Amino acid sequence: MNINRELDRLLKLVEKPARYIGAEVNSITKDVTGDLLRFGFAFPDTYEIGMSYMGLQILYNVINSRENLFCERVFAPASDMEELMRERGVPLFTLETKTPLKELDAVGFTLQYEMSFTNILNMLELAGIPLLASERTDEDPLIIVGGPCAYNPEPLADFVDIVCVGDGEEMLPELLEKIREAKKSAKGAGDAAKTVKDTKVSKKTLLEAVSGLRGIYVPSFYNPVYGDDGTIVKYEKLFDGAPDRVLRAIVKDLNSAQFPVDTIVPFIDIVHDRAVVETFRGCTRGCRFCQAGMIYRPVRERSEERILELAKAQLKSTGHEELSILSLSTSDYSKFESLATRMMQDCAAQNVSLSLPSLRLDSFSFRVLEEIQKYKKSGLTFAPEAGTQRLRDIINKGVTEKDIYDSTRQAIELGWNNIKLYFMCGLPGETYEDLDGIAEIARNIVEMNREIKGGKGGRFNVTVSVSNFVPKSNTPFQWFAQNTQEEFTKKHEYLTEKLRIKNVTFNYHETDTSMLEAVFARGDRRTGKLLLRAHELGCKFDAWGETFKYERWQQAFADTGISADFYAHRQRSYDEVLPWEIIDSGISKEFLMSENEKATRGETTKDCRKGCAGCGINRYTNCPMGGVLANE
Amino acid sequence: MSKYIITFTKNGYIKYTSHLDMVRLFERVFKRADIRLAYSHGFNPHPKMVFAQPLSLGYTAEAELLEIETKEFYETGELLKEISERMPLGIGITSVEQLPDTVMNQAIHTVASLVEAADFTIEIPVPAPLSRDVTELCEAFMAQSSILVMKKQKKKKYEMKEVDIRPLILAIEGFEDFARNLDTGEVDNKIILKTKLAQGSHGNLSPELLIPPFLAFAGIETERSDIEICRNRLILADFALTPI
Repeated sequence: MNINRELDRLLKLVEKPARYIGAEVNSITKDVTGDLLRFGFAFPDTYEIGMSYMGLQILYNVINSRENLFCERVFAPASDMEELMRERGVPLFTLETKTPLKELDAVGFTLQYEMSFTNILNMLELAGIPLLASERTDEDPLIIVGGPCAYNPEPLADFVDIVCVGDGEEMLPELLEKIREAKKSAKGAGDAAKTVKDTKVSKKTLLEAVSGLRGIYVPSFYNPVYGDDGTIVKYEKLFDGAPDRVLRAIVKDLNSAQFPVDTIVPFIDIVHDRAVVETFRGCTRGCRFCQAGMIYRPVRERSEERILELAKAQLKSTGHEELSILSLSTSDYSKFESLATRMMQDCAAQNVSLSLPSLRLDSFSFRVLEEIQKYKKSGLTFAPEAGTQRLRDIINKGVTEKDIYDSTRQAIELGWNNIKLYFMCGLPGETYEDLDGIAEIARNIVEMNREIKGGKGGRFNVTVSVSNFVPKSNTPFQWFAQNTQEEFTKKHEYLTEKLRIKNVTFNYHETDTSMLEAVFARGDRRTGKLLLRAHELGCKFDAWGETFKYERWQQAFADTGISADFYAHRQRSYDEVLPWEIIDSGISKEFLMSENEKATRGETTKDCRKGCAGCGINRYTNCPMGGVLANE
Repeated sequence: MSKYIITFTKNGYIKYTSHLDMVRLFERVFKRADIRLAYSHGFNPHPKMVFAQPLSLGYTAEAELLEIETKEFYETGELLKEISERMPLGIGITSVEQLPDTVMNQAIHTVASLVEAADFTIEIPVPAPLSRDVTELCEAFMAQSSILVMKKQKKKKYEMKEVDIRPLILAIEGFEDFARNLDTGEVDNKIILKTKLAQGSHGNLSPELLIPPFLAFAGIETERSDIEICRNRLILADFALTPI
């Protein structure tokens, strides 16, 4: 089929057709010659979301800078496009060359959130690629996954061939080169003209060749054995060369790691349409609920000079009108004041606006915000996460009552009249008093505003957003039984009552998706059957409220006999073999256990810049920030 | 300050970008090329850059016009080169002309305010050659005293209003084309309409309003998604680019 010709018709019938055309500034095409290995980077959501993800830009750039590798992009088509593609038999294609995915050597999906998993299956189906790894032949592309959810890849184990765990910018090109070499060395004497894709190598040979590379997990080389109570007894290894546990890949030095300046500039408006420079990776705060804070350790910073240089070059190459920086906690950059000041100067000189997300709200940050936002004061966001000091100590969120009120007071005095507060409910050790604490904080802030401004306080709004705690793998709370949907609902109702306060708006997160997230965040291989059934029943875009269909998921649970209680609502013991223990995140189990124990006693752990907390990452790599502030 | 008119073409997949996408694209190209545009004053300054007439999403174009004002003087050749090499596939810069100072000083005469009409080419695939001569068909179509269509209203989006588009069709000519498709080897029967339609603030007709009554009149049942439209050129009021 000539995709181009058919596409020209389809694109006239769909919304935002530019999602599917490629050819943006800085996008890359290559001549498909014999030695080129073709890789499709797949984001299991729409173009606007996927293109806002910096990891895509990093990997696209890293892979395409290798002469013999070609990375193209593919996103989940929106439902209007999907319907037409199915109707007219157009297979899922890459944006760069409109090549059907099936014709590539490998396709890699990024796993950013559990609720995108059904989209992966749907995209494979749209590509005409068999969903189950066991049903794919040597002709089909290898299916690869990576990203934060790859730290528990087991729900996807039946569908994927290779899992990449850890930092991707060195691991992924190395993996692809290895696949290319294995295919190339299999070329017979008369095969010189054959492309990499046409060279016949058995999938098994390829998987054996890559197993053992740092960060690479091949699920088909392991077989989980379950006991009578349904928990895992052990993993049997099916290939001797496979490692006992897969240690995640770690980029040692962020300064020398490749970072793109020629980022793709979308034609259409996307969620985050701006230049972005990553300032550091990892976080030293040690919040016990936070998976990112554990799996991206250790903290590795880019130098100030390098950041400014990259920002300048990226702005020059893209023409973006906004610059932002990326990290888990903006203000924790060790030379943040200097960096922010210099960035502000550079941006002002170039008519570029600066956006600094997740600032810790101290007096310096307020000066910065005054400078960059001027009269356009957007809302100000705080994330105390829990309503009382007791519970904040349990989760090790190093924010005090005083921090919260000092910052809000300053914000109100400087003229902000829209304050957003983020909390979680269902945290370990939570009682209804902690929920009362949420209402109390909101009420005190409204009261503070009246005090400062006098009278009724003028136009002012506090938005309280409460999400439901989802215990994640590789965190101190990985053993915790999630609240049931009924418990969450009861808490939401309680909070709704308590937060009937003038000038306060209350939002909370859907309970059904929180339960599903918990099932997949800590699911074993058997949850793949649930996923497959949900896909067959038409589940997709589950992260989007309007397309999420809980009845279908309920049906899928019933059809597969999978128990949500077993995966989401069961307290696990330290002895249990957890499905993700096949992966070594670099953080020791002893550390996670000790943190969990400290949580039950309400003890905090200090920021590891102030002294090593003993997470175990320094067994594998140098931890440059460990204890740097020990004497302060 | 200097003012320039940039003429460009739009072809291939990039035709699926919208007018707003093009605004963003050009702004970014100027930034990348270090061409310093003048900015409007006020609370929300924006670069002084105006397209003569927005082009609908899905249309190709052979000579679109963009007016820009820069902070400093640039040689037109330099501008052409700097912009051209930064354009994505599908946008071609055909010329850059500087507006004489005399025109520049007359703020009301933006190129957008001078657009009167535009030539369009509309390609309509048909399953088989028509039984009727296309030239005659077009003449008969134009001989109608009025052509009434229902049009969405600008202010009240959900109310339709009947309008007569006949006065806004300034010319229409038709041909038949039987080219062999190089990909499929099949003969593609096409009707090609060359038409001049009123554009701009004094009267504006989108080809989208012309196509349905024309197809109905000709008894053709082609899907809109099979029809290709190209805006060949914009026609400006006479005194536009001549010094006063």
